[in-house]
Amino acid sequence: MAFSRYTIILALVAGCLFHSGVQALWPIPTTLETGTSALKISPTFYFNVQIEGAPQDLWDAVAQSQYYLKNDQLGRLVVGRGANDTTALASAMTLSHLTLSLANGATVEPISSEAVKPLGTRSEEYSLIIPADGSAATLTANSTLGLYRGLTTFNQLFYYYGGVIYTLLAPIAITDTPAYPFRGLALDTSRNYYPVHDILRTLDAMSWVKINTFHWHITDSQSFPLEVAQYPELAINGAYSPQEVYTASDVQYIVQYAAARGIDVMMEIDTPGHTAIIAATYPDYVACFDASPWAKFANEPPAGQLRFALPEVMNFTASLLTNIAETLPSYYFSTGGDELNTNCYADDYLTQQQLNSTGTTLNGALDTFTQTTHGALIAQGKTPVVWEEMVLNWNISLSNETIVMIWISSADAAAVAGKGFRIIQAPSNYFYLDCGAGEWLGDDPTGNSWCDPFKTWSKAYTFDPLANLTEAQYNLVLGGEQLLWSEQSGPENVDPIVWPRAASSAEIFWSGKQPTGAALNVTEALPRLHDIRYRMVQRGVNAIPLQPQWCALRPDACDLYA
Amino acid sequence: MAPSRHVGILALVAGCLLPSSVLALWPIPSTLETGMTALKVSPAFYFDVQVEGAPADLYEAVAQAQYYLANDKLGRLVVGRGANDTTALASAKTLSKLTLSLTSSATTESISSEAVKPLGTRSEEYALTIPADGSAATLTANSTLGLYRGLTTFNQLFYYYNGVTYTLLAPIAITDTPAYPFRGLALDTARNYYPVSDILRTLDAMSWVKINTFHWHITDSQSFPLEVAQYPELAINGAYSPQEVYTESDVQYIVAYAAARGIDVMMEIDTPGHTSIIATTYPDYIACFDETPWAQYANEPPAGQLRFALPEVVNFTASLLADVAKTLPSSYFSTGGDELNTNCYAKDYPTQLQLNSTGMTLNGALNTFTQVSHAALMAEGKTPVVWEEMVLNWNLTLANETIVMVWISSADALAVAEKGFRIIHAPSNYFYLDCGAGGWVGGYPAGNSWCDPFKTWSEAYTFDPLANLTQAQYELVLGGEQLLWSEQSGPENLDPIVWPRAASSAEIFWSGKQPTGAPLNVTEALPRLHDIRYRMVQRGLNPIQLQPQWCALRPDACDLTA
Repeated sequence: MAFSRYTIILALVAGCLFHSGVQALWPIPTTLETGTSALKISPTFYFNVQIEGAPQDLWDAVAQSQYYLKNDQLGRLVVGRGANDTTALASAMTLSHLTLSLANGATVEPISSEAVKPLGTRSEEYSLIIPADGSAATLTANSTLGLYRGLTTFNQLFYYYGGVIYTLLAPIAITDTPAYPFRGLALDTSRNYYPVHDILRTLDAMSWVKINTFHWHITDSQSFPLEVAQYPELAINGAYSPQEVYTASDVQYIVQYAAARGIDVMMEIDTPGHTAIIAATYPDYVACFDASPWAKFANEPPAGQLRFALPEVMNFTASLLTNIAETLPSYYFSTGGDELNTNCYADDYLTQQQLNSTGTTLNGALDTFTQTTHGALIAQGKTPVVWEEMVLNWNISLSNETIVMIWISSADAAAVAGKGFRIIQAPSNYFYLDCGAGEWLGDDPTGNSWCDPFKTWSKAYTFDPLANLTEAQYNLVLGGEQLLWSEQSGPENVDPIVWPRAASSAEIFWSGKQPTGAALNVTEALPRLHDIRYRMVQRGVNAIPLQPQWCALRPDACDLYA
Repeated sequence: MAPSRHVGILALVAGCLLPSSVLALWPIPSTLETGMTALKVSPAFYFDVQVEGAPADLYEAVAQAQYYLANDKLGRLVVGRGANDTTALASAKTLSKLTLSLTSSATTESISSEAVKPLGTRSEEYALTIPADGSAATLTANSTLGLYRGLTTFNQLFYYYNGVTYTLLAPIAITDTPAYPFRGLALDTARNYYPVSDILRTLDAMSWVKINTFHWHITDSQSFPLEVAQYPELAINGAYSPQEVYTESDVQYIVAYAAARGIDVMMEIDTPGHTSIIATTYPDYIACFDETPWAQYANEPPAGQLRFALPEVVNFTASLLADVAKTLPSSYFSTGGDELNTNCYAKDYPTQLQLNSTGMTLNGALNTFTQVSHAALMAEGKTPVVWEEMVLNWNLTLANETIVMVWISSADALAVAEKGFRIIHAPSNYFYLDCGAGGWVGGYPAGNSWCDPFKTWSEAYTFDPLANLTQAQYELVLGGEQLLWSEQSGPENLDPIVWPRAASSAEIFWSGKQPTGAPLNVTEALPRLHDIRYRMVQRGLNPIQLQPQWCALRPDACDLTA
């Protein structure tokens, strides 16, 4: 990005700008200066796209932005919801347009192409200037993806009262760059199924807080809702019903919808554990299928894991993974690898027979399995992603570029970094959205959530991505994500259980710190989180209230020591 | 009711009936016999109302039952969702009608009138018989309210597959009477506001599980959303916005909608605490309004309580309560009385001046206040309802008929019973639906829910209404309710946080025990709760998933030790 150019613009308006805690923006930009002038959006406001050969998805993004600008109709979160702003608005100047342009030298590609480039090669930064005098606002970036991020910010700046759309903080100057390249949300669509439109709505909400990766844990032991052209029986026999399937065209639609919103879809086919339902199609491929008591053979019912020691299972898995991965634009594909139950294999005749006849250990067989499946993915240009057990619990030769997701505890990041792997932070003790909902197993009325208590937005917000790492290891941290495992969730509660909490990690990994350079702080953040939460409600997402509205209208009045 | 008549009918079909655990019904009826014959609902099925002078709300209830019968389209919760039932259905008889009638001695009143009669004088029992041979089913009761309950049961009996609505359990014979007269759900509409449509949907869901009281905690310190004709400023100044008000006609609509569904609306105006926002209209009536640090003056922000020692506040409160109560048909009205903060009054000059000048203690003043406000309600024919502190923490003279709600702990029921008061069980350690969502006050990321953990359906279901009580005290237990306090709730998460969990107390207080006489049991209950939960989804409600669907389709497979 050509920062020098914006530095000049900033210098011109610096006289009337000052740093301020703006309650409107989430995630908070890298640098942010605001004034104290009221500025109204003209009824004829338009977006002026000054980009030669602008791609269709940029036009779509502009249309969406225009729609939000008009229809958010969010009242300012103060007592009166903006009724006291009318005096300031009477004399306010009017903003007539926002000009979008790319920096000199930028090549024009669709947002959808930019969004799925390898991590570290995407350009998400942008610069947004809104003068106070009614002259044109400008949004500039190095890519259409950067422009998309800037439009998202632009939409968060404006409130509505009595027919007027306005800000009280002009002039505004923002330059913004993400702190980390990976900012995700994970959804498990196997324990319970989510219709496509619920996923699309979730992608919309993700885009509003600049989350750029949808980690789609699409299959598990309970159901296999993914239609795979080469293995159609997996979904026919493994989905909960013919209606609860993601068809090949559903997946393509979701992937495109995501990409147009700056979101890469990283799919996970968890293997070799979490695969019981494959037995409904290939009974010989799954050990201890539905064995009881399930607790001896799995972390949750039904038991059942791929017989990874068998050559035919290894070949099947490699073929399955590549058949799926080749349909997806993402460079990343997760093969899972968590929660393998060794007792299941110890009791499995076919596995033991194979190990004995070849003189292989279980670890050796898993190494071969993993190298084969990963080798197939790498041959397609994909980077494998695994859960932490693959490097911490097993002795397996993984390619150096393998990305490791930390989930069991935030304390495990250092051990993974110590092995030199890149990390995605997904620790259950901060980021699991399903914790705290009580026991879901039957016949256990005094049982509790295994990862109790509930992880509030503020608990999640205190996560430190670099904790316990050496400075030399910092560059291994790609980012992080919050996750919804769906034993107790479905379309009925996806909005309130995810939002606005998932915005916490979005800010940790986009902003990293406050514009002042100070560390992120829950007290500073709460009014802004209320703001984006109320805006989400205006846009039709059922985000939970974080506090009584009395508190939302009075920043800090409901703090512990207020 | 004349059970003898139904005993005769039962005897006729007893040869082919056997007691069985039916997965369909919630709450489970007092007596229940089912067979193993498939029976289809005729496409021309109709409800034959043989009730002279049947009221309009009975006809509306019948129309609603007809609608559910045609539109529930719930597939049986088994693998295949009913695909394996087609053979049995091929030769099944067809049910052409359900005849509704009242017993010979019954007088015909509207459901709405029956629903708001005093506790102990309502007739909710009914008898439902569905022969296996296709002859008419019959529903008989002593009141239209009993017929309404029977229609609710009737609708739960049928499943849908491929165009056919059917049961596999004919013949069916049910006689059913509630174990307790009070079965409630409490909703706080003050911490956050719920639009009328959300309340109506909640009333519908309540009726599906035979809950008969909507405990409406309508005001609190944070907002006063109730329009009161004599005191219009309370809502004008105290509601979050002019749009977030329950107008008089809203309240009347809600009350009528509830009554037509067999639900009494018990409103609560919590006094003298939980009244801070009244200060925006009557600043002189409130002590320590918005005082800081709030934690010294209140359990949550904002601080502020009625100056109950002042005569003008006593008179205002009595007038306000009576004005509100007289617009409501219910015989019950709650004046609250929880969480009084004595430090607030100790530091309040007008209160101390009044106490000193009259030589009264704070307790004495509260006694006068309570007697005056309760007397005003009793003069309107209302029975006062209070929170437990009014009898356990203060020495007040309350009318013997006063009903006491136990909330702090289930252990407190005994102490209240020992004082001879009737009890509604609302213990936070079993029945608070808001527990477990983490801390909500700001600036406290390590904070947890004060009543952590989350109360699962099964934890709630193990509540024993008679625990610790002597047999002589049993009759003091009117029933109980689950409660949603709304610091972290609003219309966005109302359905998933309430349902299906609130069905737990509905069954405890309707059924009391299994039809076999055995105590209620979480393992027996779970498949039935899944059933009503999936039916709720079919009817447009958003209840949470209790387990992965894999478990819902396989009763007991996901029990702890399965």
